[in-house]
Amino acid sequence: MPEGTVHEAEVHAVLSARSKPRSNGTIKKKVVGLSAALVIALVLPQVVTNTYWLGLLNFLIIYSILCLSLNLILGFTGLLSLGHAAFYGIGAYTTAILMTRYHVGFLPAMLASAMLALVFSLFLGIPASKVRGDYFTLLTIAFGEIFRLIAQAWIGFTGGAMGIVGIPIPKVFGMPIRTETQFYYLGLILLAITFVCLTIIVQSRIGRALIAIREDELAAKSMGINTPWYIIMAFTIGSFFAAVAGSFLAVYQTTVTPSNFRLEESCLMIIMVIVGGMGNLWAPLAGVLIMTLATEMFRSLAEYRMLIIGGIMMLVLLFRPQGIFGSSAFKD
Amino acid sequence: MGLLETRNLVKSFGGVMAINDITLDLEEGDILGVIGPNGSGKSTFINLLTGIYRPDQGAIRFGGHDITGLPAHQVTRRGIARTFQNLRVFSNVSVLVNILIGQHTQIQNRLYHLFLTPLAARKREKAAEKKALGLLKMANLADRRDELAKSLPYGEQRLLEICRALASNPRLLMLDEPCAGMNPNEMDTLADFIRELRAKGHTILIIEHNMPFIMSLADRIVVLDAGRKFKDGPPEQIQNDPEVQDIYLGKEDDI
Repeated sequence: MPEGTVHEAEVHAVLSARSKPRSNGTIKKKVVGLSAALVIALVLPQVVTNTYWLGLLNFLIIYSILCLSLNLILGFTGLLSLGHAAFYGIGAYTTAILMTRYHVGFLPAMLASAMLALVFSLFLGIPASKVRGDYFTLLTIAFGEIFRLIAQAWIGFTGGAMGIVGIPIPKVFGMPIRTETQFYYLGLILLAITFVCLTIIVQSRIGRALIAIREDELAAKSMGINTPWYIIMAFTIGSFFAAVAGSFLAVYQTTVTPSNFRLEESCLMIIMVIVGGMGNLWAPLAGVLIMTLATEMFRSLAEYRMLIIGGIMMLVLLFRPQGIFGSSAFKD
Repeated sequence: MGLLETRNLVKSFGGVMAINDITLDLEEGDILGVIGPNGSGKSTFINLLTGIYRPDQGAIRFGGHDITGLPAHQVTRRGIARTFQNLRVFSNVSVLVNILIGQHTQIQNRLYHLFLTPLAARKREKAAEKKALGLLKMANLADRRDELAKSLPYGEQRLLEICRALASNPRLLMLDEPCAGMNPNEMDTLADFIRELRAKGHTILIIEHNMPFIMSLADRIVVLDAGRKFKDGPPEQIQNDPEVQDIYLGKEDDI
């Protein structure tokens, strides 16, 4: 079943690659690169059998979905949102509560989580679309903190600091997902769906409108682009997929706690997107890989590892301000 | 009835009357030049017409509809496109994408089209791309379509900005100091390009400081001074008007 979806993703990617007016060489390179990445992703759990590494892979997938969706907001539209973890959290908590208390199946719970995140992102996005720059960022920080505090304080509903435990094993079309490998394939499908949907969006007139807003909002307006509308759209779509990642986290971890969704998480996602590169849809994946591996490698150094992460980020910003694979830097 | 009519437009910033009671008609197919000394309100006038500012008083009618106070993106949808005094191309994207963004109002794809009718959506994108290439060919930019806009020489970026405005298929094109910063060669290219547009029947409003340039292109010239419409007439008449020479070029004994 995972193979089926991935093939679909491949076909879409080939189609969308073809649509770009590039030389044949570039298209071929893209197709080869994408197919190679897919093959590697599919056989990886057959090679990596160590549970620790499989677990790491699953977190890589979660962060990949988060950073792809954040890239739509940050890299394409140019909005520095520090509230992404809140939508991730809304997704996780909604799935956790629906599955543990109301015995909803995983897929409906995930869909409901994503829809709820969409509604909340509208609540935030409508006022936030009226402000720009630092004020926008402040609003998103405030929203993120409000979410975390509610999760922590509303003990009856969210379990408080202990969070929600004992989230049942998810079933996908009747198939229970138990092992790390099974979670890996489920995550991979979700990642592929996210990637395909976002690819379709960014290569359309909508994606170009977002880029126009990032590049020059006044000029974008003069092109007939209703800029607040598109800012809200980018924000809600990004939040939708963040909630999908949260939903997956809930069933994978079987617990959710407020500490999963702190401001630091939002910052980490932003670092990953910046290191990987903004404006290129898949570029943040490189950031996810580098930052996750760095965090894991230096785990023994405890607090000092943040120093190393900071160092990596400074090196990237000094020598490649647009990120490793990015196409656009922050405003020149 | 003209394509564009303004009636008694007023716009002030603080205590300064930037635009003071301007009434103006623009006929379809005309090239109107707007000149005036620095600070006479030319750019404010364009910003009022394109919805970037709201007028304090007065009315703007375009194609028989009242567009007073409409936001900028809706003005563009009604058929007014513009360029900016300070170049505002989308620097970090390709030349082709710049034009495609300009076609925003022309491509009908909405979010649900992309997922529910992907083939039709792709078809519309393809058609838009073809049209964009046609525009780029007209400006001799077709072979640079994949280059980043910021890598183009200045004059070509100016041309690109005009093409991007044309991409919205406007009934009225407004150019805010298109010659600013251009060298004489680039200016000649631009003048030829504008003549080509005129031959195709485009209606154009040009703000320009460069007198030979604007006088050779415009069918009619409006002179603004301190926010007021000071003179309105054919280029020859304006050129020889001693009062215009006084306010615009300075009195002879000043030199």
